[in-house]
Amino acid sequence: MTLSKVDMDELMAPFPDKVVRNRKKHIVQKDCTESCQQIEANTRTVPGIITQRGCCYAGCKGVVVGPIKDMVTITHGPIGCAYYSWGTRRNKIRADDNTPAEDLYGAMCFSTDMQESDIVFGGEKKLAKMIDEIVGIFHPRAINICATCPIGLIGDDLGAVSKAAEERHGIQVLHYDCEGYKGVSQSAGHHIANNQIMEHIIGKGTDKVDGKYLVNFLGEYNIGGDAWEIEKLLEQIGYKIVSTLTGDSAYVNIRNMHQVHLNLVQCHRSINYIADMMETKYGTPWLKVNFIGIEATIESLRDIAQCFGDKDLIKRTEFVIEKELAAVTPEIERYKKICNGKSAFAFVGGSRSHHYQYLLRDLGMDVTVAGYEFAHRDDYEGREVIPTIKSDADSRNIPELHIEADQEMYEEPHIHLKMSKEKYDELVASGKLGNYEGMYPDMVDGGIMIDDANHYETEELIEIFKPDLIFTGIKDKYISHKMGVPSKQMHSYDYSGPYTCFRGAVTFAEDVANALSTPAWKMITPPWDKADIEGGE
Amino acid sequence: MPDSNHTSSNRTDTAKQVNENQCHMCMPLGGVIAFKGVEGSMALVHGSQGCSTYMRLTNVEHYHEPIDVASSSLNEKQTIYGGEKNLKKALDNVRRVYNPKVIGILTTCLTETMGEDLNRIIASYKAEKGEIYTDIIPVSTPSYDKSHTEGFWTATRDIIAHYARKDIAYHRKINVIVPHISTADIKAIKLILDTWGVDYTLLPDYSMTLDRPFAGKYAKIPEGGTSTADIAEMSGGLVTIQFGLTCEESISPGHYLEENFGVPLINLPLPIGIGNTDMFMDALARITGKTMPKNLGYERGWLIDAMADSHKYNASARPAIYGEPELVYAYASLCLENGSVPSVIASGSVHSRLAPALDRLLEESDCDEMPVILEGADFSMIEAAALETGANIAIGHSGGRLLTENHDIRIVRAGFPIHDREGGQRILSAGYAGTLTFLDRFTNTLLEKKHSSYRELRKQELLSKIAAVTETGFTTE
Repeated sequence: MTLSKVDMDELMAPFPDKVVRNRKKHIVQKDCTESCQQIEANTRTVPGIITQRGCCYAGCKGVVVGPIKDMVTITHGPIGCAYYSWGTRRNKIRADDNTPAEDLYGAMCFSTDMQESDIVFGGEKKLAKMIDEIVGIFHPRAINICATCPIGLIGDDLGAVSKAAEERHGIQVLHYDCEGYKGVSQSAGHHIANNQIMEHIIGKGTDKVDGKYLVNFLGEYNIGGDAWEIEKLLEQIGYKIVSTLTGDSAYVNIRNMHQVHLNLVQCHRSINYIADMMETKYGTPWLKVNFIGIEATIESLRDIAQCFGDKDLIKRTEFVIEKELAAVTPEIERYKKICNGKSAFAFVGGSRSHHYQYLLRDLGMDVTVAGYEFAHRDDYEGREVIPTIKSDADSRNIPELHIEADQEMYEEPHIHLKMSKEKYDELVASGKLGNYEGMYPDMVDGGIMIDDANHYETEELIEIFKPDLIFTGIKDKYISHKMGVPSKQMHSYDYSGPYTCFRGAVTFAEDVANALSTPAWKMITPPWDKADIEGGE
Repeated sequence: MPDSNHTSSNRTDTAKQVNENQCHMCMPLGGVIAFKGVEGSMALVHGSQGCSTYMRLTNVEHYHEPIDVASSSLNEKQTIYGGEKNLKKALDNVRRVYNPKVIGILTTCLTETMGEDLNRIIASYKAEKGEIYTDIIPVSTPSYDKSHTEGFWTATRDIIAHYARKDIAYHRKINVIVPHISTADIKAIKLILDTWGVDYTLLPDYSMTLDRPFAGKYAKIPEGGTSTADIAEMSGGLVTIQFGLTCEESISPGHYLEENFGVPLINLPLPIGIGNTDMFMDALARITGKTMPKNLGYERGWLIDAMADSHKYNASARPAIYGEPELVYAYASLCLENGSVPSVIASGSVHSRLAPALDRLLEESDCDEMPVILEGADFSMIEAAALETGANIAIGHSGGRLLTENHDIRIVRAGFPIHDREGGQRILSAGYAGTLTFLDRFTNTLLEKKHSSYRELRKQELLSKIAAVTETGFTTE
């Protein structure tokens, strides 16, 4: 596929000059003859531009903290924010050995519903009373409190309220200063949530977790059951997942996360902080994986096995790959006939726009335009650019935890992986551990990488590239429908899923094939407006 | 806080602090929808960008339409130094890309707490730019004050107030003001008005903007909406019909027009249910001096016919009705007309005249068991009341889905938001014909449950009889 050069000035034509200068830095057209091109990301949104980005609260409560199934998460603020983040990401949960059904709060939504008098006189008392009520009614194992915009302004001391509540009730009460205006997008909220979970939950568990190959699965939110597919697959091979972060995760399991041998990272953006901090504190190595796409899943499984280097494990891995592949190949081939050669856009969050490129390639499709809402430069260009990223006022406002090696629990990474130092060094030299190469290497030549795409740009790019399908969030989904281009919602999968691993790929392929073959698009022109081709004269 | 003025014993008063599973949304959300009913308009939410993103999400999930809402994207710095610069930039960018006739600016809990003075900022913006094509209308919608319902009314009133003038010559057009209802219901009300042949201005008319027909092209600002020229004329209208029985006077658009411009107000319940629709028809007859068009008479006849036919099922219904006050009132009266005495009538809002309106309605209805009435309700309260009163069906939006999941109380979906079913905006219940389509959905939901559970119930009955026999058998031995 050859893609023509896009004239960025023309693309941005209606914007004021200053906005054009700003936005041009957020768009890169890949040129294979050049080395990795720099993109600007994680900077302030231009006001009034109809961004798809959300806020810090959305990243903290909506993405990271909300899915923890056995904690009650309270939204402290007026009613809106709690309502809007209620169940919207379809993070599935279920009871298990450690968490009985009565300890599940995932389907519920709690708000202090602050009124004018609370804003004027402060909301601390109301919050404290609410915690008492929740403990009285539900007896949760622990509580989260997420702040919304007005809290930072009226100066409610959430730390003091949490501490007092902990003393009263003898359970952990964590607070997150994730006021919506902090940072420039959801990303700030991820970081704040990571910090609190790292500092106050991970490492506090004392129950010994048994298992030969213990892993955590970080940055997987179990949308439509994604994490369960991964868990099934990994368990077949012999791994045990101590906890995911945070899809279908439980507070009681997160406390024991420090006992694993290896951390697996799916969504790099939202959770790399914890992966990094755990490496510093406990010596736990981490591996970037991707279970979206058949080829990607196979590669990830092989990489994990290599990390342990155990011959039996490698053999079992190959056995499972062969078995799963045989089961799905005929169906994938069937859908591939419909999908092959089609092109797509992907605008999602902070990792999916990259991950789904693998799955689409399995189906013979190319992604011509891809972008993230709230990613940083490393998610586009790879982690090696991290030292060169200039920190600005917005990112400096998000506290960095100062982490040191834990005196009792730290172990060298090679001991975690039960291998010799030499063998571990070889593994490190392979470049897979603790590394993420970003989206850029996987983009097609001439493809567009766009950061924080807005409504207007999306529409223009559809006009230019005329994709067959768009993968996006629900906010821009219907723009493309109005333009006659089908779209697939990639935040909550349009009530479908799971899409991970082998079987998930089939479900996805079916959904994509269905979207591409929607009969409605063929009926746009009424028969009386169609040229009379057959009849002629 | 949940209403403290209530004295009747069948009302559950509560002082609980926790709002568990909300039944209402925030004030600017309602404002956004009202602005979507003005021709050529854009809504701009002054606050953190998450506010506008969340409101778009909620609207798009319901309407399945592109819904552009701009944001001034305030960051931490602006919470200290003020959001003026960002707001002005946002106005610039929205004007450049969308060139809207109207920009409605809605405040949020953030900017209200900061104490942003929108009137001053807009005045200064206008002074900087000189004459501009776009009308800028600020609306104060702090979410700690009221709910989305009142946000809708407040924005509608402020839109009228922005254009209203004393020097408009009196004319024969009537004003029709609708609450937050489905686009299908707006279309149904317009069709009735057209059938009567009256000249009217309906506000806010989002029947096209939030339900656009496919046109192969994406218009940044959709066709439709009440034109600003028509809105300006409203202050000289013959009369205002407002479907706002539960709307408090302080935010009532119709009351504003009456109070300030002497336009007489006929404040009616939504024309859902036969009695309520009769009131609407009666008002139109009095205004126009005409008799009701024949086809509407047929529609009324068909409705009565169907009500009589389906009463054998509907009499067994004990619906829990929840949602926005105006809709809740209308569905409650529809249910009462059909012998389906509500078990629970609930709204998340506390700032309405729902309770006194229901009092009058229930007084006239002489039902044996009085429904539980909840204002400022959340779903934990609604669920508890529904179980206590033996509710066997519900009417309301998707927020109540746990009623079905946990207790198999099936929901006849109506109101906003509907995000777990297709076609939320197409739910029709207004007018005689609309009432009939709603009634059929209601009756059939009862029947579906009856048919799907009948065998299981009989089986359980039999099994329990057998179990009883065995038990007695054992004890006698």
